[in-house]
Parts: sequence; structure tokens; C-alpha cells
Amino acid sequence: MRSCSMAGLIFLACLMAATPAAAAANDQTLYEGDSIYHHITIREDGGERCMIFGRQRDLRQTCIDLAKPDASVFEYSAMMFAGFLFRPDAKKVCLIGLGGGYIPTVFRMHLPKVRLQTVEVDPHVDKLARKYFTFAVPANQALAIDDGRQFLKKSRERYDQIWLDAFNSDYIPAHMTTKEFLQLAKSRLNDGGIVIQNLFCDNKLYDAQIATFQAVFAKVFVFEGQRSGSCIIVASDRPACEPAELRKQAEKRGGKIGRIDLLAESGKCRVSLILKNAPILTDDFNPANLLLMQKK
Amino acid sequence: MPIVYAVFILLLVTFGAVVMSLEILSSNLMSPYFGGSIYIWGSIISSFMVHFSVGYVAGGYLSRRFPRISVLTVFLMIGSLWVIGIPTFYKPVCELVSDRIADVRLGSLVAMNLIFFIPISIMAMVSPYIIGITASWRRQSWLTAGMVLFVSTVGSFFGTNVTAFYLISLFPVSRIVVGLGLICLCVSFLTLALRADREMGK
Repeated sequence: MRSCSMAGLIFLACLMAATPAAAAANDQTLYEGDSIYHHITIREDGGERCMIFGRQRDLRQTCIDLAKPDASVFEYSAMMFAGFLFRPDAKKVCLIGLGGGYIPTVFRMHLPKVRLQTVEVDPHVDKLARKYFTFAVPANQALAIDDGRQFLKKSRERYDQIWLDAFNSDYIPAHMTTKEFLQLAKSRLNDGGIVIQNLFCDNKLYDAQIATFQAVFAKVFVFEGQRSGSCIIVASDRPACEPAELRKQAEKRGGKIGRIDLLAESGKCRVSLILKNAPILTDDFNPANLLLMQKK
Repeated sequence: MPIVYAVFILLLVTFGAVVMSLEILSSNLMSPYFGGSIYIWGSIISSFMVHFSVGYVAGGYLSRRFPRISVLTVFLMIGSLWVIGIPTFYKPVCELVSDRIADVRLGSLVAMNLIFFIPISIMAMVSPYIIGITASWRRQSWLTAGMVLFVSTVGSFFGTNVTAFYLISLFPVSRIVVGLGLICLCVSFLTLALRADREMGK
């Protein structure tokens, strides 16, 4: 009896997942429905199509520009590609978190020699990305439907870069924030490999994540968004360059990856501060979602 | 008799709170090995339901055979010691299970039952055991079956919320689990020390 309410919620979620795709509520809503993980809405507005998770329609979303699918609608994804410059000769990249498939699209269009392994926990997100966001898996890319941590644990592959984009503004998979998880990710990196993670920087979880990265990696850099609340953490034991040299790296690539202006994005990067009061998150001590709700 | 009722309420609130606290904490124990998906919650809730069911049947049966609080307390001590041991053995258990069972649904279900079957089944015996003891008195008591479930559920309410909203942000999970086991053990010893059976004339 004690867990009736939770069991009821799960039952309700399953029922809703089984419901056929809901009809459009208005001209702009292309899809609204539920997977076993999220309430998902797909909306189109002014040439931009967005996949929105949850009911906070302004925060948890992934968008593409229909006319220019490789243009970065959000600052965070552009900054993540600037993070690419810390290991610019990458041949194998693992991306955890598919969303609408913007990042794989940029890899497909502009980094075709890089083998990209995408991992997405929600099979429904994969279906929607294919149907509404022209997401496809070309020959040099692969997609696994799995939990990111479980995938890395089972995988014996080594990657030059691991990108973590499985985080929302109001929920984070806590088991992918811990020191043990980052040690696992590090063990799946080639020598000089990097981890790139997307976060919001106005909450206490951001500080805790930096402290946790610093406990695992020798070098931790951050990109701080100037037109959004997004931040990017880049961590490595032996990065190809320091933040001060990032502009040079960007220039070597012609200053761009597709439509992403690497020169502009590289200016947002700096060495992260040592945060003495921030907790290191572990599998044993992990209040990640409570910290996410606490503003700095 | 006031001591008897105080013991009953202490047991109901404590173990009602601790089982739900352990249910919340179990997701932190499982997620590093089986992921953080909804499947984990399905395994956690369904496992606890099985443990509750076993505990309800066992508690009802044992209370009829041995309508003494001391017998229940011995079981509760075993359950408490098991809980204290969880932080030392859950990692190898989860590693072993996740290495051998690829399906996270089956894996988490097996791990949940290996770790929690004994203590939760024992702790779920508290309510039916107390109902059984009061029934054995063969006279009216204000502590009806409904009141027993009410008091236990109030304990569960606090156990759930205090754990989810406060304890997880203050302490490592392993320390919370050991702390819960120690509380259960102390309450069990206190119950024996208060000699409620003698008060009841057993």
C-alpha cells in the first residue's frame, strides 16, 4: 500500500505512452505525447522546430533551424563544438543524449571523418528525431538505445571525446554526475581524450560538477555562456591546448565547424576555479537533483 | 498497558519510516549498476510489494503462534543487523548481478530481492504482528487494525519525505543506511528492555 501513489504514477505513464500520438493542439504543435521518460512536445515556430521535454516550454528543449539544420540555435551546442578543439584530431566520439539530433547532424555534415556513437536512453526520442528532425544514422555513425552509464560500462571501445548532453534544467540523471561515473568515462578515453558536458551554470550542481571533474581530471576548463544560462565543462588529463591557445586551434580549422563560429565561442573559455566549498559527488553521496534546484 | 501501547506506536512509526526510507535510498544503490530509468523504480516498487506481502503473511501467522512482542523483536534485530550490513555487501552483489544479467529490468529485480528481501519482509511483519497481538487479547482496544495501519503509514510518510528532501543532501547513502539499521536495533533493544510482554501478562 505504501508505494501505491508511485505505482499509480508509473501505471499512468505507461498508459499515456501507449496512447497514439496526440493530435496537434494548434498549428504550431506537430506532436504532443508521452514516452516512458518524458512528456514530449514538438513545435514549429518561425522556421525553428523544437523538441520540448516536460512542461517548462522555455527551458528543456532542443531545436533545429529547418532551413539551416547545422546552425546552432542554442549557445550551448556551439560551445560544445568549440570544446572539440581541445582534441581536434578526434576520430571517435561518443555522444550521450540524442535530443532532436542536432549534434549528430553537425557531425554528419561537417565532421564526416569522425565516427560518432550516440547513446539515447529513450527509444521514443529516437523515433521522433527521425520523423520530425530528419535525424538519420549514416554509415560512420551508430546509435544505441541504452542508459549512458550502462553503455560505457559494457563498451570496450575507446573514444577520443565523450560528450554528455543528457541533462535538463529540472532533472539530471544523478548516476551520471558522480566521481565513479567520470572515472568510468575516463577509462573509456584514448590518451589525451576529453569529456565535454553541458550544464546550466546558475545552480549549486554546477559547482559540484566542477569539483567532481577536478577530482578525476588534471585539467578542467569551462565555457560560460554570454547569451544564455548554459555552461560547458571540458575535462582532460592531457588536452591538446590551454584555453588561451584555443583561438589558434580555431584558426587552424578555418574558424568554423559548419556554421558554428569557433573564434567567437573560444573566447568564452577559461580554466575553472578551484571551488573549495563545493561537494564532490560520489555514488554514495549524490544530492545532484537537490543541488540542481538550489540557485547560487 | 500504557507502556505496551507506547511500544507498539514506537515500533509502528520507526519501522514504517525505515522501510520507506530504504525504498527511496535503494534507487541510489541501484542506479550506478542498472541505470536511472523508470525500470529501476518498477523493480524497486514491485520488489518491496513482494517483501511486504511475505511480511504481512508471516507476521499474521507468527503472531497467532507466538503472540509476544519479544518474538517479533528478535526478528526485527535480525532485520536491523542485515540493514547495517547493506553498505558492505550491496556493491559486490550489484556488480555480480549486473555482470551476469544484461537486462536491467531483470538484473535490478534480482539485486533488489537479494539485498532487501530479508529485512523488508521482517519489517513488514510489524503491523500484522501487532494486530495479531491485540486480537489475542479478546477484548476491545482503541488500537484497531485501522489505527495500526494509520500510525505505520504516518511513519512511512515521514520516512519518505525526510529521506528524499533532507537526508540524501546531508549524508552519504551508506551512512544513512547504517544509521537506519542502528535506529532499528536501538528501538528493538528498547522494546525488549521495556518488557511489554510482562505488562501484557504473557
